[in-house]
Amino acid sequence: MKLLKLEFLKLKKKSRSWLGPILVFWLIMIAYPLTVELLPEKLEVGFFSVLWIATLISMMLAAEDIFLEDFNDGSLEQTMIKTTSFASLISIKVFIYWLLIGIPISLLSFIFSFGTTTNFVLSLMIFPLSIISSYIFLNLFVLGNALSLNKGSVLGALVTIPLALPVLIVLGKSIVAIQFNINYSGFIFLLLGCLSIIIVAVPLVVSYIIKAHLE
Amino acid sequence: MNNQTIIEANNLSFKINGNKLFHNLSFSLNDGEALHISGENGSGKSTLIRIILGITKQTKGNLENHFSKDIAYLGHKNAIKDYLTLEDNLLLMGLQDHKGLKKFLEILNLNKYRDVVVANLSFGQQKKLALLRIFLNNSDLIVLDEPFVGLDTETQKILSQFLNNELDKNKSIIYTSHIPCEIESKILEIR
Repeated sequence: MKLLKLEFLKLKKKSRSWLGPILVFWLIMIAYPLTVELLPEKLEVGFFSVLWIATLISMMLAAEDIFLEDFNDGSLEQTMIKTTSFASLISIKVFIYWLLIGIPISLLSFIFSFGTTTNFVLSLMIFPLSIISSYIFLNLFVLGNALSLNKGSVLGALVTIPLALPVLIVLGKSIVAIQFNINYSGFIFLLLGCLSIIIVAVPLVVSYIIKAHLE
Repeated sequence: MNNQTIIEANNLSFKINGNKLFHNLSFSLNDGEALHISGENGSGKSTLIRIILGITKQTKGNLENHFSKDIAYLGHKNAIKDYLTLEDNLLLMGLQDHKGLKKFLEILNLNKYRDVVVANLSFGQQKKLALLRIFLNNSDLIVLDEPFVGLDTETQKILSQFLNNELDKNKSIIYTSHIPCEIESKILEIR
């Protein structure tokens, strides 16, 4: 709980780190209608694709400097010599980033979805998809950033994006299911299943990667 | 006092990219002793400290540690957040409620900067803040990598005096320093 509070304090004070990805998401969603005809049926055609890609990009930006600062200022070394579990620190860090970036983006997804489709039920169904997918994307990009910790975040993103493609496919299929009124809960459970594996595996793998970087 | 060996190293060697940094180093450290690791720039002093701490692994040799995992360590990097205030940094270090905090903030002349963002403090003041981690420690082992760099003469004296007091309390110290200091220590020369 103490670690959670401290990580929250650190991220809260770094407004650039949490506000930046949210603003990028907001800008993409605002810019989208400007690039297509403003007829509701035309807007809906590509809306969800843009929504998931905007979520992906925002989470990529969110994970950009998640460990770099702690690596550069020696905080990770201090953690490594303490009794605190490295993997739990990473889980907490990712959770806080998701709380301050992923949740607002999911709320914005709901708002933009409702604004575009004027379908409240559909927009409500988008919300859990957005919440789960943002957490999955964040974990994946955290893995990529750990791999390329001192080599720049672009390399990490390139490594990670292929891993995010199956999630994008599932998200696309979920939207089709919702639009054709087919039960979409199977897709939610599939994403939750992926998340439950990722949420355990990523911190463990990342802790080993960071230890290797510190060595 | 019953002095126990807390570190015993036999024939430690370290290679990086095929270059030998140090070769067959052997030393030991008991409770209440200080070990001054000396050597030229690039001789591997910091690497040896990282090996002792378990951050880096030696290429060859055996190192036995008998200390608890709770170590007071200050390396080249201060591990402070420059976008936070001094007070917030104390919170991150877990020192905000320490009973000795007020005394050391006054000794180090940092009390008036508690609400100042650390980026606005000088390098020396930032170093003093990082040193609070050492001054307010409860660890049996203190590990310092060039702790005197960036400190004024007065603070260097305070730190030396503090470390001597810790030795009297049977704590152990490992440090590197190019700045002469008055700490009664064993010397380990790395060539």
